[in-house]
Amino acid sequence: MNTLLVLDKDSKTKLSEDLKAKLVRTLEEKGHRVEVFELGKNDVSPCLGCLLCLTKHPGECVNKDIVNEIRKNVKKYSATFYLTPVLFGHSSSTMANVMNRGTGSHHWQVIIGFGEDIDDEERSTFIDLTVKHHGKADIVHPGMDNQVDAFVSRSMEDNRMICEALRTSAG
Amino acid sequence: MKSVCIVNGSLRGKKASSLQFLKDLSLRLPDAEYSKTFLTVKAKVKENYPEDMLSSLARADAIVFVFPLHNYGLPGALMRLLEDYHKYLRTGREYKKGTKVYVIVNCAFPRPGETTGEAVRVIRNFCRRLSLDWRFAVCIGTGPVVVATKGIPFLYPRLKKAYAEIASDVRGGDSERRSDYLIKPVIPESIIAMIKRHYERTGQMIEKNTTPEQA
Repeated sequence: MNTLLVLDKDSKTKLSEDLKAKLVRTLEEKGHRVEVFELGKNDVSPCLGCLLCLTKHPGECVNKDIVNEIRKNVKKYSATFYLTPVLFGHSSSTMANVMNRGTGSHHWQVIIGFGEDIDDEERSTFIDLTVKHHGKADIVHPGMDNQVDAFVSRSMEDNRMICEALRTSAG
Repeated sequence: MKSVCIVNGSLRGKKASSLQFLKDLSLRLPDAEYSKTFLTVKAKVKENYPEDMLSSLARADAIVFVFPLHNYGLPGALMRLLEDYHKYLRTGREYKKGTKVYVIVNCAFPRPGETTGEAVRVIRNFCRRLSLDWRFAVCIGTGPVVVATKGIPFLYPRLKKAYAEIASDVRGGDSERRSDYLIKPVIPESIIAMIKRHYERTGQMIEKNTTPEQA
């Protein structure tokens, strides 16, 4: 099972490194072959909102960067995991640029936000933003993605619990 | 005179619906009464957004974010501006606490009440974190359709009222909470779906040959 893991290399913290290590270990134990992309602000162009990747040349972005390469190969992944810092309840700009450009597996996407000072409202905003409208609840692009899960980690203990929850679903 | 910073959060250049809404709002903010600064997000930023852009936000009495909904959230380029502004303020730069903040968000879906809520919450969280004065949002369904039909008289009285209310609220001193405006297109959803399909199929969503460097 090929699994893609994308994370924000400009926002590494002890918490995110611990999460990455635990997550990779959990997935590998479950038989996933994990391919990791660590991307930074200068690696990733933002989505222009042109929709040409959905219409004129499906699956191909007008921005010819690493994200376009990931997107072209998206069908080979049965799951995509994103690790993103959370600011104001939103993913980082780098990770938003990756996610907004259709890099997620159509089967299963897991979006994990992290940050030690995320407050409850930001946590709730992040969860709603990433789950409420996606997967089966997507009314704008129904049927595009099958399953989208979201978690927020504010501590090493949260990391452990998230990986424990994923251990059940990653099999 | 009140200083108003209006941020265009779209990368679609002259074809952006956000730009049209921004211009319409600007008409309600006459130069004699308001000192306006216009900022546009960038596709490529070297290190951080330039200091003059960030200081314009810091000096403003009011900030209006005008942007398209991306994946139910903020466009990455706008999120980058918020990140850089947050970082800029954390270095101890002076800024006006209590700056009034407004949002005009447009989405591709005809029912803005069902799609724009989380993006607005992100801006509210931004205000709470920075002690800014969140005021209200104008959430527009099917932005391109509203832009294409807004010239027809009497179609969008609530949108005009929303612009007028932003102008009066920036000028006025009351702190009463305002409700968000939800603007739905007047054209039936089935016709919108047909227009959307044509619009997407013919690739009219962006100026031809626009690359990140040119945007």
